[in-house]
Amino acid sequence: MEEQLRNKAKELLETGCVKVVIGYGWNRTKTRTAPVFITRPEDADRLVWNPLCVNNLSVYLTRKFKDIQALGKPAIVAKGCDIRNIVVLITEAQVRREDVVIIGMTCGGVVYRQELWKGELKPEIMPTKCANCGVRNPRVADFVIGERSSFTPPEAPTGMVFDKIKAIDAMTPAERWNFWIGEFSRCIKCYACRQVCPLCYCERCITEKNMPQWIETSAHPRGNLSWNLTRAMHLVGRCTFCGECERACPVNIPLNLMNQKMIQVVDEAFAFKSGYDEKTHPPMIVFSPDDKEGFIK
Amino acid sequence: MAFVCNWCTYAGADLAGTSRMEYRPNVRIIKLPCTGRIDPLFIIKAFENGADGVLVSGCHPGDCHYTTGNYHARRRWIGFKNLMEFTGIDMRRLHFSWVSASEAIKWVDLINNVTGEIKKIGPFMEYKGLK
Amino acid sequence: MADGFLKKDDLNRLRASVAAKGGRFVAPVTVARQTVFKETAPSDEVALGYILARNSYKEFLFPQTEAIAEFSIHRQGVELRGKDADARDTVIFGARPCEAASLASLRAVFTWGFIDESYTKREDKTVVITVACTSGDDACFCTTVGLSPESAAGSDVMFHETDADGWLVYAVTEKGRAFIEAHADAWSAAAPEDAVARTLFMPPVIAGVDIKKIGERLKKKDHYDEPLWAELTRKCIGCGACTYVCPTCHCFDITDEGAAFEGERRKNWDSCQYDSFTLHASGHNPRDAQWKRWRNRFMCKFNFYPEKFGSKGCVGCGRCVRVCPVRLDITEVMEEMSKRP
Repeated sequence: MEEQLRNKAKELLETGCVKVVIGYGWNRTKTRTAPVFITRPEDADRLVWNPLCVNNLSVYLTRKFKDIQALGKPAIVAKGCDIRNIVVLITEAQVRREDVVIIGMTCGGVVYRQELWKGELKPEIMPTKCANCGVRNPRVADFVIGERSSFTPPEAPTGMVFDKIKAIDAMTPAERWNFWIGEFSRCIKCYACRQVCPLCYCERCITEKNMPQWIETSAHPRGNLSWNLTRAMHLVGRCTFCGECERACPVNIPLNLMNQKMIQVVDEAFAFKSGYDEKTHPPMIVFSPDDKEGFIK
Repeated sequence: MAFVCNWCTYAGADLAGTSRMEYRPNVRIIKLPCTGRIDPLFIIKAFENGADGVLVSGCHPGDCHYTTGNYHARRRWIGFKNLMEFTGIDMRRLHFSWVSASEAIKWVDLINNVTGEIKKIGPFMEYKGLK
Repeated sequence: MADGFLKKDDLNRLRASVAAKGGRFVAPVTVARQTVFKETAPSDEVALGYILARNSYKEFLFPQTEAIAEFSIHRQGVELRGKDADARDTVIFGARPCEAASLASLRAVFTWGFIDESYTKREDKTVVITVACTSGDDACFCTTVGLSPESAAGSDVMFHETDADGWLVYAVTEKGRAFIEAHADAWSAAAPEDAVARTLFMPPVIAGVDIKKIGERLKKKDHYDEPLWAELTRKCIGCGACTYVCPTCHCFDITDEGAAFEGERRKNWDSCQYDSFTLHASGHNPRDAQWKRWRNRFMCKFNFYPEKFGSKGCVGCGRCVRVCPVRLDITEVMEEMSKRP
């Protein structure tokens, strides 16, 4: 697969079809992968593909990265789940489909965090999303690299995230409150969750607006709560559960729980799953006169 | 704290006033052009600044002055209400309603009921205690 | 010759002794599957088998959020009340030699021109107990920046782990010696005979890195617009995680927060990696691309600190490497910068 990927990248660069290939490469000690930007065909051999390729590279297609856009038309190495984010970017008019070449990788799952890698991919070091993945064979890709995967996700989603959501739903409001305040109190406001998120592409984030100061920048429980709630709200109907925010969080806040919960809410209320169809509008920018709710009196 | 739209609920509250109807004085009304203008952050900000309960109200579906503002708002509230519930905010503190310009009685009942419910659980000390 | 011996079982006696004198005891504790420095409550169990705490203990001297004044607005005008730093006797237990070396750098910044008393007062009342490293990981690179697992710079008291279920205690500074004497009943004066210091973990020196060369290279300033910077750091996503865990990063922002008529003026950590960090009111941003911000961070560590203060900007703790979501390894940049003349 790696060989195929390198050849494809080389070909794309040589023909001038793209100017940069965004992919994964090794660090110096070959223990971790990190994003690389290949601009010369002879460098295409730096590209790698393995279960350590966790990063969602679609973040580099957003307007936050003007200097990457300045390089020219990109090709991007993407797993099926990463492509879902590109699809959301397309539906939100951030990227045009024809402006990016998607090299889809069939995927057997990745590790939750690279530190967990001990040479073998076992279910216990994989994130919940991989166990329920319906896009191991990438869709919406220009090229697909790798053998077709025959994996079918379980009918009822399984995994730690789903179990925990059920446990939180069963709590009393006071218990839920204590749980979340406890988690959010560790937040250090480094904004890694925002920066690593392909869907947090605003050039001026609401938290940077201080006339008036909507969200307190202080890293105390009140400011942290308001920040995390606002971010969760801004992702409603958009988040694809790629899990990058939780992975990037230096203080282990279980952001996946909140985002997955909202995915379930959106699915129940609007029968919508984000990132599958680049022609459908995201649910929060449209409406239906028949929307159902039971709480507006 | 009540966030209401200019055209229906505010007019309904106004009607209650001009009709000399009496209701509990605990509510502070903030008028916005439309429920579509009510950012969920307003509600978070209200709690941050000491509100013990928040009410959001606007035109009935189909009656929006701007045709579709309240439909958009409804979608947003479905998300936001579930998010607040998941966070552990007591849902007796957060209310959503449709009150039209002619429903002064509904407004009066609504405020009385919401105030009564919040009084039962007391001030929102959990939020006020966050520092 | 050790100045004393502390049995692991007696650590709680030391904690109690510090608490009895009104001091706070900051130590590594496991929180949410991570080892973090925390002001311990008596019920907290001090973590012992860790490599390095997730956070730097700088936050106890330079808090992430600190109210420096209160204001209220009345009919008569605005009332401003300054707030003094709550400098309490503090014991930091379980620091590592790398981060201990950072305090001199922080002090240099906070006493440069203006004396920032909220920092200096706290530091004056802090005793740093460093435990020499017997374990490490592939992100550790203290030996590459001229430190080692037994460097004592910045520590007041140095602990060496032994196989006799305790630590050999060495006073490093006068403050440290006074501390040992003040809590004499917590430790035994003499070490048991089988108490031999364990072998320390020495991270291998990264061969391609030459700190001197990097310093000279950065001094010239003509590297500023070299495409190399963008090539090396293009993947940076611009979060502030590296700066917040870094023991020598010190930037902050002053912000007024509160309600309409009263509130606080707060000093909050800020990060040079945010695009709003250097954004001017005019809309112009001198560091308008992420690689320029990253270049600044690197300059800060290997040019500004050493040139201006003669102190270490980077102590090689490797926190930024571990925490980075895109694994931007500062040592890889150091290696590249060592190559060029």
